Amino acid sequence: MKEFNFSHLKKLEIILEGEYQEFATDLLDHAGVKGYTIINNLSGKGSHGFHDGHLMFNEEAVLIMIIAAVPEELVNPILEGFAPFYNKHSGVVFVSDIQVTRLVKFKG
Amino acid sequence: MTISLGKSLKIRSTIQVAAEPISFFWPMRTFIHHNPLHGLEHLPFDLAVKEGKRLFHGEVYLPRATYQKYAKEGKIDVGSLKLEISRFLKDKNEIPNIDLQKWLENLVFQISHPISGKNELADTSDIHAALHKTEAERPLKSLMQSVSETLKNNLLKDKPVYEATDILFGARVGDELDKLVIDSCLDFFDEGQSVWSMPERQLGFFHAWKDVASRNLPFFFRGVRIGKILEESETPEGIIAYVLEQLEVPEENWLEYFTSELVRLHGWVGFIRWRSSAKHYYWNQNFPGDLVDYLAIRMTLALALLYENSKCKGHCSRKKIADSIEKDPEEAYLRIELQQSKIIPEMAHEVDQAIARGNQKQIRSVFSSYINKKRLYEAGNFSKKLDHLASISGEAGALLDLSEKNLERLIDTIAVFEENEGLTWLRSMEDHSIKKLLNGINIGKVAPKEKRPFVQAMFCIDTRSERIRRNLETVGDYETYGIAGFFGVPVSFMELGKGSEIHLCPVILTPKNLVPEVSVSEIRDDAAVTALGKAMHELKESVLTPFVTVEAIGLLFGFDMIGKTVAPSKYNHWRKNLSPEKPQTRLLLDKLSREQADSILRAAQRAVILAAVAHELGLEPEEISDSTIRDLRELALNRDIDEESCRQGLKLSGKEMESFIKTLQAHYRINESFSHVQTERLSRIGFTLEEQVNYVGSALQAIGLVSNFSRFVLLVGHGSTSENNPYESALDCGACGGNHGVVSGRVLAQMANKPQVRRRLAEQGINIPDDTFFIPGFHNTTSDEIVLHDMDLVPSSHLMYVDRLNSGLTGAARLCATERMPTLEANISETIKPLLASKAAMRNTMDWSQVRPEWGLSRNAYFIIGRRELTYEMELDGRAFLHSYDYRIDQKGRLLSTIMTGPLVVGQWINMEHYFSAVDNQRFGSGSKVNHNVAGRFGVMSGNISDLRTGLPSQTVLKDGLPYHEPIRLITLIEAPFDLAKQVFESVAATKNLVKNAWIRMLIVDPETHDVSLFERGEWKHNYQLSSELLSKSKEVKTNERV
Repeated sequence: MKEFNFSHLKKLEIILEGEYQEFATDLLDHAGVKGYTIINNLSGKGSHGFHDGHLMFNEEAVLIMIIAAVPEELVNPILEGFAPFYNKHSGVVFVSDIQVTRLVKFKG
Repeated sequence: MTISLGKSLKIRSTIQVAAEPISFFWPMRTFIHHNPLHGLEHLPFDLAVKEGKRLFHGEVYLPRATYQKYAKEGKIDVGSLKLEISRFLKDKNEIPNIDLQKWLENLVFQISHPISGKNELADTSDIHAALHKTEAERPLKSLMQSVSETLKNNLLKDKPVYEATDILFGARVGDELDKLVIDSCLDFFDEGQSVWSMPERQLGFFHAWKDVASRNLPFFFRGVRIGKILEESETPEGIIAYVLEQLEVPEENWLEYFTSELVRLHGWVGFIRWRSSAKHYYWNQNFPGDLVDYLAIRMTLALALLYENSKCKGHCSRKKIADSIEKDPEEAYLRIELQQSKIIPEMAHEVDQAIARGNQKQIRSVFSSYINKKRLYEAGNFSKKLDHLASISGEAGALLDLSEKNLERLIDTIAVFEENEGLTWLRSMEDHSIKKLLNGINIGKVAPKEKRPFVQAMFCIDTRSERIRRNLETVGDYETYGIAGFFGVPVSFMELGKGSEIHLCPVILTPKNLVPEVSVSEIRDDAAVTALGKAMHELKESVLTPFVTVEAIGLLFGFDMIGKTVAPSKYNHWRKNLSPEKPQTRLLLDKLSREQADSILRAAQRAVILAAVAHELGLEPEEISDSTIRDLRELALNRDIDEESCRQGLKLSGKEMESFIKTLQAHYRINESFSHVQTERLSRIGFTLEEQVNYVGSALQAIGLVSNFSRFVLLVGHGSTSENNPYESALDCGACGGNHGVVSGRVLAQMANKPQVRRRLAEQGINIPDDTFFIPGFHNTTSDEIVLHDMDLVPSSHLMYVDRLNSGLTGAARLCATERMPTLEANISETIKPLLASKAAMRNTMDWSQVRPEWGLSRNAYFIIGRRELTYEMELDGRAFLHSYDYRIDQKGRLLSTIMTGPLVVGQWINMEHYFSAVDNQRFGSGSKVNHNVAGRFGVMSGNISDLRTGLPSQTVLKDGLPYHEPIRLITLIEAPFDLAKQVFESVAATKNLVKNAWIRMLIVDPETHDVSLFERGEWKHNYQLSSELLSKSKEVKTNERV
């Protein structure tokens, strides 16, 4: 069996309102993040109560999650960048340790 | 200076947040109604408008005199207003011998302007003395506190530094800066209007500007030497950080500082905000620019102008201004008085002289006599007004008897009341409208329908549909429904002969499916052959033809714009040939099969290769064989084939061949990965059968039309036609993204007429009879005409009814024009004959000089979600959005939640756009159309150069200088059992917040208990129980009887 080479990265899970998707992806682009995954229509409960993900005719009012795998040195700058935004808006960012096999997809 | 990545991102993010109070501004080709205070909707209405007033310096309520006029005309619920006053006074201390209720009532009804709010220096002791015809003595020191307050508010708080220098020294840096910034924006954002095109625009706004600015002669002659500033950093974020450092603005104030810079040209900023978020927008894709670029440019110019302007006397930072105020507050104060024209006229000359001489001793002496005078002037002025109010309240003596403490209470009470007075009027005006609505609706039980109506017609919820629907119902056996004008199907549409996609849905949605229009003459029965054959034909004809395949698979040169950019004359010629007699067309609604998609892709790639061979190798098409092209394609896609014969066919050496293939892959994008992208894009064309079934089913359920279908079901979209009107799109269908609604009707009709779709719907319980035929139509809201489309598809069995149908539509159109035309033209009386009214309306569609072809959505007031029977007997004068809804088929509330999240939100945007354009047409509206000039092909400016004008022109909302649109918040009525409606309300965050923050006034009418609940001050009030008189009025309505 082939031996895999695991590299350590950080995973950011950024939850925010759909209306601000462009802002968030633009910020990640400027940070040099190479890619991300977006999940739409989140449901869940937080400080603003339960949020229903099934809204047919308004994509701006839904919560979305942007998932990005980034090298550790980008985590603080990105969080610093999001700080003014989250001072005003609801949402959260989760940071966790992950491993990937193809580092070139995420770094450099 | 170099800044860290974190800092740089922080600046971007801070600018994003700083710009949020400023609404998006969409290009006017598709005018989108929006709330100019959308960015403040997270706040309660009254606080948001206060903040809006502070930021945009606009009025947020009508002047008192206009409300007084409404009160006289019976448009205000006076009882409600008095109740509001007593509610306001509830927690206020009583004042001896003063009947505050009476005073405030007299104040609002009899005095045309507010009396408080202007006193900077005079305090209660001054006013008390003035009332008793004496003068109070006050030491200078006690006045200095007010002076220092004024100085800080005017010069330091959130103000750009140059605004302070302008106020202090009359430097006019702000005006000059705005002009330079507008020039830069016009150059960069131009969409083909200007003869000169800014070079290197693909570098982005900041970098392209930087490139030009360093060589810009006008900048040089004005003495603006920006080069030194620009040397400080390569990035816009770095420049912004540098300028802020020079201006000595502390980091914790950046957010406010950015906001006050951005609001100065909020039209341009709104446009750039929208544009940078519109990833699909051609101009943004090619020439990107965002607010970080904008601010970097603006702040560079601002700093340069501050340095260069001799009048500023080196006051180039916030700290220097603060120091200057600290050192010589007297001079600063007098300067403000002069610059802001607040100076007492009799001392103007003396103050001017003293400042000109610059002798501080003299200035202080003038200052001390000036503020004394001003204090007495203010006190005298205010006491007169107070005395007048006391007299008309019959309590002049009581006023004189008041102690200073009680007088202060009185003055405070009046001041607080006047500060919140606008909301009091507004609520009373809304209460009047709510009562009027409740008196007019019928909440009686609905009798089952006895026979199928001749026609069922769906119209957009647009307020203009109310008139045509009502009139259509009176001319024959017509049953009408209201639904958002995109009929619930978000479509990206590509019109025949146009290369770009337009989104036919509310802007809060992004359509996933593309629908191209194809010419009917080419279509054969077999759908498979259709798509393929059509694509092949078009591609063979000319690769430049901006057609579906070309756009959809994104050919190399951005051909979507080809007509408008590369070959305008050819394009126009071609359009001209196309337009006069547009061929009959169909919409490509079905998904392509894998084979079809592959064939189209192959055809397109071959066409590109043909063009590449001609361009790169100079070979004409007849010189190359089909097999050579095929081989080239295979090679470019890295397929394993023998290149020998191909190479020989092209007479190339091995090396040349290799390089040509590389060119094909890199420049012409004939490569594997781009093929994937192209295939993916092709997969956007059309809808799957499931999707079609779902859309048709949802639309029918949403309006409660699931049985008893007529022979004809009309799907009537709407739009406006007028000449020479940049605002034409504002009159079009908002639910279709500011476009005409006819295509959306065609889409749904084509789906609903499909037997496979109907079979599947029958499985879900919606049985559409075989003889029911869906016909798309177009309601021209300027002429009221309704024209039916795709009539060539009507089955022969139905043809005999078409005449009757058409004459019904014509009759309704004429009656509608009879109602509408007298409101538009003073010389048309209300007794005008229908035919003449219709002719006059028709003329408006063609009259080049007509600045007001129709009133559009002006006067909108209501949003009614319920069955037609509710409003069937009521004339709503084109003031109501009517969304059909039948709670009986919506037990889970899904349909209602869809209506609340989509159509209602769009209705609220439209309502607020009209509200603010009516209360302050100069600031929130766009002023008179007469002075408008088109800017860059996407907006208008007033005169030669100005901020982009947002909002609605005066011709849409004002009549003879007064509001024609009577501004109130959208009164929304839902007909549904209270528990169901409340449960949905609680689950839809977007709408719930709008209602809780009082941007919408919401009512729920429970058809089973007849209870009316109103959401007020944070909770549901069930005290709107209809009186027995109203209940007895409601009766059973039999829809089909009214013929």
